[in-house]
Amino acid sequence: MARDKNTEDFVTPIRRLLVGVLLLALFGLFLVWRIDSPRVERFRAAAIDKVVPSFDWAMAPINGIVGLVTDFQSYQQLSAQNQDLRRELQQMKAWKEAALQLEQENAKLLDLNNVSLDPQLTYVTGVVIADSGSPFRQSVLVNVGARDGIIDGWPTMDGIGLVGRIAGVGQETSRVMLLTDTSSRIPVTIQPSGQKAILAGDNTLNPPLEFLEDTALVRPGDRVVSSGDGGVFPADLLVGQVALGTDQRLRVRLSADYQRLEFLRVLRSQPHETINDPGGLLTPEAEFYGPAALPSSALPPVVPSDG
Amino acid sequence: MASPADTQVWIKRGAFLFIAFVIMVVQLVPQSMEPRVIDIARWHFRLVSPDICLAVTLVWVARRPKYAPVWMIAAIFLMGDLIFQRPPGLWAGLVVVLTEQLRKRSREFRSLPFLAEWGSIALGVAAISIANRLILAILAVPVAPFGMILLQMILTIAVYPLVVLIMHYLFGITRVTPGETGSRGQRV
Repeated sequence: MARDKNTEDFVTPIRRLLVGVLLLALFGLFLVWRIDSPRVERFRAAAIDKVVPSFDWAMAPINGIVGLVTDFQSYQQLSAQNQDLRRELQQMKAWKEAALQLEQENAKLLDLNNVSLDPQLTYVTGVVIADSGSPFRQSVLVNVGARDGIIDGWPTMDGIGLVGRIAGVGQETSRVMLLTDTSSRIPVTIQPSGQKAILAGDNTLNPPLEFLEDTALVRPGDRVVSSGDGGVFPADLLVGQVALGTDQRLRVRLSADYQRLEFLRVLRSQPHETINDPGGLLTPEAEFYGPAALPSSALPPVVPSDG
Repeated sequence: MASPADTQVWIKRGAFLFIAFVIMVVQLVPQSMEPRVIDIARWHFRLVSPDICLAVTLVWVARRPKYAPVWMIAAIFLMGDLIFQRPPGLWAGLVVVLTEQLRKRSREFRSLPFLAEWGSIALGVAAISIANRLILAILAVPVAPFGMILLQMILTIAVYPLVVLIMHYLFGITRVTPGETGSRGQRV
């Protein structure tokens, strides 16, 4: 249709109304999210569940190109890398020997002491399909979800160390909030001093340790493992090593390889059995304690002694 | 309006949607999960990328508002809000407000020098970034460090001329020249 000034004047008010409705809907959604976050977050999880896996075909070529570039870079350093690996392998062999001996010794000692250990954690492995796409959030999307029995809050590891925890489960995907995210707080223990602290993500690669009781007992290089406090995580999952940051704060160098998060293990962490009752008093139920409480037929006949 | 003669408009709209889609997918591709940090002297910078999707949208709206209809912008940015873990609806709404302002003024832009166009875009981006931040602060939503948001804002503004060039030569999003007419001689 030919449009001149006149027709536009008729169109504009309707358009303005529609834009107003649109804005109202958008800001309304925001307000609803602020008031009733879980419901909208569930909607978000469902939307991502539908949309992101279907981006797969579009991501494949980009992934391929990036893979090609990184492969090319690593080919360039191939010989140097090879030498390094060989040297490392030699050291590792020595360590492996030591580890095997220690394992045997450990098993023997445990057996001698009759220690009962936690049952092994089982896990589901998922592939990282997308990252958060925003510099303000540190999270990834993995391709396992409620369908695979994933539950909010389960810890996630790569082969070596803790990576994060499940925050948001869709039908086929779930979001893993990384330890580096600003809203991630994990209770940890620092070995060997046994100090407890909170690992608080702050959007840097090495998250700082907070609420340390005695910093004098903690040295750079100490191992940091999850403490299992508060029932957030199972205990003794490797997190990383203590390091002193350039800002003189104690930080953790994470063991998980954040450069290459490709496969993630979601640990099926069962909640701790809680002990609710304070324990019964050790008193007898009947008034009498001793033979009188038993039925008389169960007792041998009393033979009076004649002194 | 969707008569065959207007195919051109729909092709351009499709191109707009396609660009937005590609930008989103590229941002989603799982690469290094390390937060990137650079140290310059004793300053600690966390690297952020400019909001390319916003820059592209602004170029299209300022130059060819017809090819970037408001419902498309709303849908794209709402999807972005959902996927990128932003508070849903707020950023999309602010972007719609800004683009509506620019749409109204796009006729003026045709005769203004580029610097003036860039200046008003910069003001607009700054305004909605600060408004976003303020609203989140008032409603006590946890927000990212202010430095990062500032850096992203500046980068988005800085990248605008580059996006203009790319859009000009690759997708033909030029300014409407005086006397240009649509396919059947109507005003554009």
